[in-house]
Amino acid sequence: MRRYLYLTALLLCCAFAWISCSKDDFPVDEDGLLITTRAECYVSDFQLLGSDFQTVLTAKKPVIDTTACTIHAEVQYGTDLKNVYPQFSLVTDAKLDPKITGKVDFSDLANPRSYTVVSGNRQVRKTYTVHISIQQ
Amino acid sequence: MRSKYFQYTSWLMALLLLMASCKEEPYAVPVPKDALQNDCIKRSLGPNIVGNNIEFAYAMALPGDKGKLVSAQVEASIAGAATTYLEHRSYYTDGSGVDVGVEVATPSTNQGNVTTVNFSKDTNAVTLRYFYTIPEEARGKTISFKFSARSSNGETVNYSMGPYTIARMDIALDIPVMDAANCFISIEDMKAYDAVDAAAHAANIDLVYLYRAMPNVAFNHSLVSPGTKSEYLPGVVLPPGVNKVTKISKAWALRDNNLARDKYGIYIDDIDFQQLDIANAPDYAINLKEEAGAWIETADGKYRAYIYINKVNNGAQSAVISMKRYTMK
Repeated sequence: MRRYLYLTALLLCCAFAWISCSKDDFPVDEDGLLITTRAECYVSDFQLLGSDFQTVLTAKKPVIDTTACTIHAEVQYGTDLKNVYPQFSLVTDAKLDPKITGKVDFSDLANPRSYTVVSGNRQVRKTYTVHISIQQ
Repeated sequence: MRSKYFQYTSWLMALLLLMASCKEEPYAVPVPKDALQNDCIKRSLGPNIVGNNIEFAYAMALPGDKGKLVSAQVEASIAGAATTYLEHRSYYTDGSGVDVGVEVATPSTNQGNVTTVNFSKDTNAVTLRYFYTIPEEARGKTISFKFSARSSNGETVNYSMGPYTIARMDIALDIPVMDAANCFISIEDMKAYDAVDAAAHAANIDLVYLYRAMPNVAFNHSLVSPGTKSEYLPGVVLPPGVNKVTKISKAWALRDNNLARDKYGIYIDDIDFQQLDIANAPDYAINLKEEAGAWIETADGKYRAYIYINKVNNGAQSAVISMKRYTMK
């Protein structure tokens, strides 16, 4: 009887150890982000902050065209466009390429900057162009 | 048989552990030391700036039957400015929360780097405050203090505080600026001039303050470098020779405690100026609001500063600013 108990306990220990050591099988991308099944790929909101981390956009809401993949935003008169922080709100599980790691120079209005949205399943990529205009 | 012994032993150990863990420590009233003793805390916070005070509270006591306090003194490693003093009053807080001073000694005297008070009342326990006004000689150096007390039975005690680093930066508070009047700001002089004085100090003028209420544009209160584009200096007539291009970077929610005065627990220190990088900043900052600020770097790179907007008045087209300035070269 005691031997049976001993063997059962040993078996349980082994099973527990095996379960605890098994590797999760969820796929992640090169950034360590979860790859999901979502194929949606769009920008839902856009914001631009100045060096004081306050918005530099005017009262006009940015116009985001998810078909043409464009963003049109108007900044306040006198905005220092060489030192701004763009903020993109994306659909669930999507990510942005290139990543925004600090201040960005948006001062070259003739050559708008582009950012690519990558869907949650990492299969769909859409490149958005950000057009900035200055309040007059 | 052996397993049975193990079982008994385990039970006994568990029981002992339980007893030991539940044992209550009886409280004992602490026994006071039978001698003169002292303690000290630093009351002031933030960077130690030349011209400001470093404040301490120095406590000393001895049992009543051992004698009374005779004198207390503080020795600073660098002599303080003339306004340095050790309080000769002991404070208590009344029911309304007001600190009330009770005179226990003659006013302190400064001799070199030593500040002394002699007790004039029979006192055997007291806390005295010490205000060390940082002198110009201490700028950028470290300073330490030795507090000591002497009692009538011949005992002496001492307490060392520090070392504390004295900041290299300067501070100027509440500089009034007004559009088309004293609107020419000099970082070097830490002053605002009108057009006549600005012409006399043209080489030192780094910024122009102006207020413009425009219909479609938020210009409002602005700090603009005199050498910027004319569109940011609408209607401004610059005195001859005032043409510097100063770098300006707007800041928000950076309400330095020294500049904003006891409102917020943020301090700008030397290291912030040393690590500041506004090489790509523009030469203007428009639409500045009350409690906003701006980092500044002068055209020659000699000074870096932070200007805080204490107050704005749209009607009077004026503002009150305070600044911290760090000399780079």
